[in-house]
Amino acid sequence: MKRRFPGSGYAWAAAAMAACTLAGLAMRPRFDLVNVAMVYVLGVVVVALRNTRGPAIAAAVLALAAFDFLFVPPQGTFTVDDVQYLLTFAILLAIALVVSHLGEDVRRRAQAQAALRVEAETERIRATLLASISHDLRTPLAVMTGASSTLAERGEKLDAAERAALAKSIFEQSREMSDHVSKVLEMTRLETGSIVLERDWASLAEIAGSVLRRLAERLAARRVMLEIPADLPLVRVDAPLVEQALANLMENAARHTPPGTVVRLRVQRAPEELVVSVENFGAELPEADLERIFAKFERGVAESSGGMGLGLAICRAIVRLHGGRAWAERIAGGGIAFRFTLPLEPAPAMPPEPAAVERP
Amino acid sequence: MTEARPSILLVEDEPEIRRFLRATLASEGYRVVESPTGRRGSIDAATHKPDLAIVDLGLPDFDGLEVIRRIREWSTMPILVLSARVHERSKIEALDAGADDYVTKPFAVGELLARIRAGLRHGVRSPNGAMLELEDAAVDLEARKATRGGREVHLTPIEFRLLSALARHAGLVVTQRQLLTEVWGPTHATDTHYLRIYMKQLRDKLEKDPIRPRHLLTETGVGYRLAIAD
Repeated sequence: MKRRFPGSGYAWAAAAMAACTLAGLAMRPRFDLVNVAMVYVLGVVVVALRNTRGPAIAAAVLALAAFDFLFVPPQGTFTVDDVQYLLTFAILLAIALVVSHLGEDVRRRAQAQAALRVEAETERIRATLLASISHDLRTPLAVMTGASSTLAERGEKLDAAERAALAKSIFEQSREMSDHVSKVLEMTRLETGSIVLERDWASLAEIAGSVLRRLAERLAARRVMLEIPADLPLVRVDAPLVEQALANLMENAARHTPPGTVVRLRVQRAPEELVVSVENFGAELPEADLERIFAKFERGVAESSGGMGLGLAICRAIVRLHGGRAWAERIAGGGIAFRFTLPLEPAPAMPPEPAAVERP
Repeated sequence: MTEARPSILLVEDEPEIRRFLRATLASEGYRVVESPTGRRGSIDAATHKPDLAIVDLGLPDFDGLEVIRRIREWSTMPILVLSARVHERSKIEALDAGADDYVTKPFAVGELLARIRAGLRHGVRSPNGAMLELEDAAVDLEARKATRGGREVHLTPIEFRLLSALARHAGLVVTQRQLLTEVWGPTHATDTHYLRIYMKQLRDKLEKDPIRPRHLLTETGVGYRLAIAD
């Protein structure tokens, strides 16, 4: 429900009563006093329906005062000759109270229903999330439980190579799991809008270098080609987030293409933006799926190559926060390109360094 | 030195994390003092005077930042921070409070041990003085001479200053603010684009592959690190 400033109900009541008074003055020459009273009743009902009890009572009191002063004989005074008008007053007040109570009740119910709807939607998202998380965490957990219990209970019966292999698989699976958990947290942070961009001048060459270092092991079996111009302008972005967006694309390349595949990381300069691309020359995807895979928990094909289907959704959310676009397209001749844009801003000034003094 | 084995203070509340760290550090020949709380950690630091402290940022009694501040009141011992928070801000806060480097949980022990070695080396003058050996490039920071593949490379005064600032903390992260203040002065503490431009120039001159640097590393959102061979 829209919130209004606190005094607005009373302003409403005053305005409505002023309108009723004008209408009443216009009617007076041709209509009975009872009908003028009816105009006030209508005004009080309208105010009471739309407001809480306070403004409704205020409207009733204003109505009484105006009606009494302007219309009830003797006019121009607050005295009342005929006792029957006291009954009119009482009824008017009662109407204000009853209607405002009914109105509040209706509003409260509407609010409760809206809250229920939001809750149901949240519940649905939570269920999807839980189903996905539990599925994706169960495999690494099963490996870790099995491998570690083998080491703990019968480690001495294994030879050193087998022990090392088990330990390595525990290490790898736990890293995978930790990665899943951070992605879920990241997605949640992005979705609840709790991320405030900390923009700063950044170099995409530097960000790309950092991504390649972080993912060096996972990309070791791919042939990574770089196409990053030496004279790229800086961009004003939240560098850790953009690094995450690019890392997700590179990680997907490692996850969904066969070893030996060429992966090209490219940054191109357009007039008003930089276009960052990760081109996988070993991946195939039907045209119809190119948009679908950016949705949460969607994966390219029914596959066992791991990943939660959050990487692209996170990438797109980060890029959109920066005012850019993220999409996938097919590469002529085979392959899929994932691209995103980052808007360019006029670069800040860099004072020239005075020419170095020649050393003796 | 009277004691050959360096001692390490470990301020960490999780017993399971202390357990594997104790095993790892002992196997590397370090003596370990363990403190489960921040209060104890601050006291143990003063009584044991360890060669290095590892401080978890998320302690139950008071913030790891407070432990760092208390140690820094009287000691310059290297401090490494263990941080479960991925946010760059908390790392920067810890570094600003006086920590020398951080490791983000979960971490592989190899990374932690490398940081410990860099931390223990920090402050100890390296045997080859002001000489930096970066694969095929070599820089003499005192004589202000750089060579690459035997040929002399010209570095500007600012490039030398930037490289020296990183070399003073070799192996450890240096925050952007710290570098900007040391090289350009406090009035330029937020001119981060200076760093982007000069780090690129340094990489172009000293790294084999400037996009994939092996020595002049970026810690995105935090700062830079000069990685040198252990």
